[in-house]
Amino acid sequence: MGTDHGDSEPAAEPPVEHDTDQGEGELERTIGLVGGLAIGIGTMIGAGIFVFPGLAAANAGPAAALSFAIGAVVALLVALPASELATAMPRSGGGYFFISRGLGTGPGAIVGLGLWLGLVFAAAFYLVGLGSYAGQVFAEVGLALPVNPAVPLGVAFGIGLTVLSLFGTENTASLQNGIVVVLLAILTLFLTYGSLDALGVFGTESTPERFFPPGGLLPVLQTAALVFTSYLGFAQVATVAGDIKRPGRNLPLAMVGSVVLVGVFYVVTIFVATSAFGSARLGEFGETAMVEVAREFVGLPGAIAIVFAGLLATFSSANASILSASRAVYAISRDEVIPGAASRLNLRYGTPHVALGLAGGPIVVLTATGQVELLAEVASFLHLVMYGLICVALIQLRRESPEWYTPSFHCPAGFAVAGVGALASFALIAFMQPASIVVGAAIMLVAYAWYRYYATDVDLKGDF
Amino acid sequence: MTDTDRSTDAAEPPADPSGEPSADPSAGSSADPSGDRPTVLVPVRVLEGEPLPGGVAELLANAHVVLLGYHVIPEQTATDQAREQFGDGAMTKLEEFAAALEATGATVDTRLVFTHEKQATIDRVIYEEDCLAVLVPNATDGPESVLVAIRGTVGLDRTARLVAGLFAGTDVGVTLYHILGEDESGADAETLLDGATAALVDRGMDPDAVETLVERPEKALDAIARHGESHDAVVMGETDPSVTTFVFGMPSEQVAERFLGPVLVVQRERPAAAEDGDGSEGGDGSEGSDGSERTDEAADDRRP
Repeated sequence: MGTDHGDSEPAAEPPVEHDTDQGEGELERTIGLVGGLAIGIGTMIGAGIFVFPGLAAANAGPAAALSFAIGAVVALLVALPASELATAMPRSGGGYFFISRGLGTGPGAIVGLGLWLGLVFAAAFYLVGLGSYAGQVFAEVGLALPVNPAVPLGVAFGIGLTVLSLFGTENTASLQNGIVVVLLAILTLFLTYGSLDALGVFGTESTPERFFPPGGLLPVLQTAALVFTSYLGFAQVATVAGDIKRPGRNLPLAMVGSVVLVGVFYVVTIFVATSAFGSARLGEFGETAMVEVAREFVGLPGAIAIVFAGLLATFSSANASILSASRAVYAISRDEVIPGAASRLNLRYGTPHVALGLAGGPIVVLTATGQVELLAEVASFLHLVMYGLICVALIQLRRESPEWYTPSFHCPAGFAVAGVGALASFALIAFMQPASIVVGAAIMLVAYAWYRYYATDVDLKGDF
Repeated sequence: MTDTDRSTDAAEPPADPSGEPSADPSAGSSADPSGDRPTVLVPVRVLEGEPLPGGVAELLANAHVVLLGYHVIPEQTATDQAREQFGDGAMTKLEEFAAALEATGATVDTRLVFTHEKQATIDRVIYEEDCLAVLVPNATDGPESVLVAIRGTVGLDRTARLVAGLFAGTDVGVTLYHILGEDESGADAETLLDGATAALVDRGMDPDAVETLVERPEKALDAIARHGESHDAVVMGETDPSVTTFVFGMPSEQVAERFLGPVLVVQRERPAAAEDGDGSEGGDGSEGSDGSERTDEAADDRRP
């Protein structure tokens, strides 16, 4: 491709026409495979390992590992069709772009507004997690605080990150890569040690409690719906598809690869955590349960390493979500689904200040509520709707097979994978708490009403 | 730039068969688009309101200039978002620059790129347009004398092509400067510079316009920058990225910062397009002069 060093590969891709100069300049693609994987892993790993284990174990016991595995399978079923769509439309906007072009403006508007708010909810959830870990720092140094500092700290971080991204942070990508490498190193060491210990290599084998919780499979599925937030990152790779080098190869590898990798880490984490403590005990530890698990295995150094890793992971997840939310605002504003002013760039800093404000403002408000499980589930709800529709869009586009639809990656067994993926995505929603379903459905209704009010004259289907 | 009448001409590609800014890497390289003119890349940060530095147009009067306007945007911004908003304005500005360069006789191709990484863009365009040299654009008085740092025989031919191509038949005087290595004798240096002078004369330089200078200074880059001050421009080779590159930046940029005048950096020979078809990405990987870029490229090499 014309904009890439790897342009003369044996499996060379044709140039992405969108990047080339049409009188207004070319676009440089600067994110390689490692960068793409780092975006996916960096967005996801914060939640599944550092926030959920305690909550998940309290709900589903050791079978929470199964909940995470279910989440991974659903995510994979969506990642494969999403990869095909992303290589056919390697443009910024991700799932919104696929659905608006494949299914039309109405579904596109619901998904686009839903994606923006879904990322807002996800970012708020990560920020509460980040606040919990920052609060844990005070606990470790022995400072007793009169109130739980998680929410105030989360709000402070939310404001800080928004301001930081407003004034240009040119090295966020290399920072993200570094954070992910450090995280994976700490986690690999810790989980390897923990697994060996749990299996009895260092002394007595821990007696596993009953695998399934008293309620049987239902709590496992409910937990799968709750922790699905841990898998929301892979589609973020598609939101920066416009920056990915050799998208035909790197997009599918980054999306599928990051899901598989974090899925394995999550399952092992739950195994290690539930073999250190009983599920009920883990639940009492709440968001920072992993700190206690590490303390149990390796003492204070372990606890400090996990606090540090937790700070990094939740920070990078929150940051990635804020930036993705702003890109989602850009994508819908470019298409005139919301007023174009929302995507204005500030010339001095080169940043979309309106879009970042539309992301950061509600994030801070939601963080202040401190409702971890509700925030996580609403985020998952809105994403799952998008994931289901991504699968529908794949089926639709394959059937219509418009001229412009020429993906360089083909999802194996496309119809079957997309069909099961769509069903699984929608089915997972059914296992959420009623409050989350109500909030999520209300957001979709408002999004649809907005579309009827503002954007009925916009035709996006096949606009490529 | 003041010659606004010509700016409309610049919208049309100059009389040049491959004038169309093209994404096809072979377009610029297969046939030299401008006869004997050396192709020089001039990167400009097009939206930062900087004028084209004084003297640059005169320096490049005999060149085929690839004028690369780039705009670096932070990673939180999508490149197409920036293009949508700034593309028109940037193109107009770039055309003004192109007109100023053409006014002194240069032929000009323009490229405009929105990027997150300046170096990745410059490297790519050097490769696609097969550029002989890259200009670090600083202001200068009308060029009268140019310092040419000669490192060794490697790449000498390309340096000679550039220098003779730009300055043969002009009033510009050239000083060939060589820094002696540890176990290198004065006679070795003389042979080298004689060879270089001959190569320039072969290509049409007036022998009287070529001087030579040999030294054994403590710090090579300081010495080049110091001598540069008594000249109007410096020509030097691209040095392989090394550990010091990551810490201090490219040697040519260090020289440019201290000398404050324009520096023409002669590029190494890029692997020919035909060889590249075998997927030999190694050459590209080594061009990335910042860490993150290399990581990505290295990862790309590890494909199944």
